[in-house]
Amino acid sequence: MSMGRRLPVYLLLDTSGSMSGEPIEAVRQGIKALLSDLMSEPTARETVYLSVITFSSSAQQIVPLTELMSFQEPSLDANGSTAFGDALKVLEQCMDREVVKATSTTQKGDWKPLVFIMTDGQPTDSWESVADHIKQKKLGNVIACAAGPGADENMLKKVTELVVKLNSLQPEALKAFFKWVSDSIKTTSQSVAQVAADTPIGLPKPDPNNMIIVL
Amino acid sequence: MNTEKATLKDGRTIEFVHDQPRSGTMKEVYFTPDRKSVVCFYKDPCAGSDANRLQRLQMILGAYNPTLPQSHGGAAQNDIEADYYRKLFCWPTGIVVQPRFGLVTPAYPSNFFFPTGPVWLKGEEKNGMWFIGPKNRKWFEKNQPSELGSLIQHFSLCLQIARAVARLHNAGLAHSDLSHNNVLIDPSKGMSIIIDIDSLVVEGLFPPDVLGTKGYIAPEVLSTIQLDLKDPKRKNPNARTDQHALAAFFYWYLLGRHPLDGRRIPPGNTAEEQDLLAFGSQAIFCEHPSDSSNRPEEKQYVPCSALGPLLYDLFIRAFVKSLHSPSDRPTALEWVRGFVKTWDLLIPCSNSSCLHKWFVFHNSTDIRCPFCGTRFKGTIPFLKLRAESRPGQWAMDGQLAVYNQLPIFKWHIYSRVFPSPETDRTRQAYCVFHEGKWFLVNEKLTSLTSPGGNRVPPGQAVELKDGAQIRFSQEHNGRIAEVQMIRS
Repeated sequence: MSMGRRLPVYLLLDTSGSMSGEPIEAVRQGIKALLSDLMSEPTARETVYLSVITFSSSAQQIVPLTELMSFQEPSLDANGSTAFGDALKVLEQCMDREVVKATSTTQKGDWKPLVFIMTDGQPTDSWESVADHIKQKKLGNVIACAAGPGADENMLKKVTELVVKLNSLQPEALKAFFKWVSDSIKTTSQSVAQVAADTPIGLPKPDPNNMIIVL
Repeated sequence: MNTEKATLKDGRTIEFVHDQPRSGTMKEVYFTPDRKSVVCFYKDPCAGSDANRLQRLQMILGAYNPTLPQSHGGAAQNDIEADYYRKLFCWPTGIVVQPRFGLVTPAYPSNFFFPTGPVWLKGEEKNGMWFIGPKNRKWFEKNQPSELGSLIQHFSLCLQIARAVARLHNAGLAHSDLSHNNVLIDPSKGMSIIIDIDSLVVEGLFPPDVLGTKGYIAPEVLSTIQLDLKDPKRKNPNARTDQHALAAFFYWYLLGRHPLDGRRIPPGNTAEEQDLLAFGSQAIFCEHPSDSSNRPEEKQYVPCSALGPLLYDLFIRAFVKSLHSPSDRPTALEWVRGFVKTWDLLIPCSNSSCLHKWFVFHNSTDIRCPFCGTRFKGTIPFLKLRAESRPGQWAMDGQLAVYNQLPIFKWHIYSRVFPSPETDRTRQAYCVFHEGKWFLVNEKLTSLTSPGGNRVPPGQAVELKDGAQIRFSQEHNGRIAEVQMIRS
């Protein structure tokens, strides 16, 4: 419970062409709702730092790891292909640069980062080796979301054990997903399980109408 | 309004408004139409089939219930006591069996929600983290300082928490998860209320179903967390771990830093491993008198000695002597006593923009507010209260630092009166500074006696002069106040 420690949260969002229109608008609303939910949670305000990485034909970190209270909503546009491998590479680079290691001698290290990956389609680049690397090194608590019928949950299993499936790209489903992300962040920022080093984090139950956990 | 009916275990029915529920980690919460109560349904669909939980809830609602008089099957001596504890606890009032398993509890009083502020604040519960988190605190200092309350209000709400926990422990109960999440506080009014009563622990009868909240879990619980649930060496929440949580809350809240969260970083490859040690087996008090390895990160900090000798002793006991030996921890009742006695040493800070507004008087030639650093200039009549321990022997058993308009109550007048739920809280006398002199003005005392031996009837005053001895009451247990004028 050291107050000097931060909880870094990375959102990796698919902004490929198939997300354009209603889905990308729902993602915008989802981020807005996520922010407003976390802003009202006093523990999250103290500890949560948020970053957004988007991927379409390539990946970029559009919001660097930022304190909740200074976070500005990014503008999102959907077009292009699904450079999933690139997104994972950017994630690894960002975490390497931004997350304070426990071995730091000058400041207290950050909590293990929470990473939420949302994708609605098949990767269009090579991604397997970097996915394997992230899974092996346990760089963070990674939760992947296969959003809608076009996404492959088995592919995401190569990045993390924690995969959820969103049954559609309808606004209602995306809203439920971001609500669940918010609840997961709140739970993690307070949970005791996180204190015990290697136990998997306890996540809240997802909304059964829109989401299932893929086992 | 879209309402639904819930059926209670005792056959009663209750209406609740079926709209978007407030959602906690364990329960979904709906208001009744009058918004005086809430119906909470457990999210866990199996909650109702847990015989142990059901039995525990029935005991909590009945035989262990300090908010229900004994005449109604509760544990309160009488209505006065029940009313008093109803203000300190949000105690469940019914078990819901239909449409799902749940509880009825009173709604939190409205002062435990922020009345104003930005959209992210207005209407939110006054969870303690709003006031102990450094970023949140800074925001309030700048934008809504009235929410922060003064030190006297901090004492008031700490005293209420200590009283409430003392009541639980006295009945053989343990809360098991005392934390800023389960104790709502309203510093602006000096009030607190303990919520989430349904997981109370009865030692030997009902085991805990939670480990506690980060920052409040006792070191022995954290250092045995890896052991199997059934391993007898594993330490689980109980009254002693409540005592740790209580001390941690008081220290964190009153001084703005966690007692174990200093600059020392124990060995470990991850933050999680390091904190497991820093708050568990390798925990060290950040103000440890002889081990300075875990001092607070800030260069300048207010030490706990600024809260007076009694609270200092309790903190040292909690975090040095008994941090790793649970059976010696200060009890909730000792904290009650500590706050009541230290209350009598509070004096106003002369800096009108000081956020704490009060500080604990310490007898020295350089009296300063430890929070803002402002030096006190003027005279403080300091009363040493003595009681007749044996015929003719008057032993000091209290101290009172006097400020203008200080109220004097029965627990100052009589040595055997201690403020409790049923104590008469009528002001008996007060002190004033008038035309350069200090006086004690009598209101209710029938045998207040001046240093010269004359009775001072209600409506009249006696001057407080250095060396003067004033007898508050000629009755049995009536105290003598010996005046010392302190100039700073």
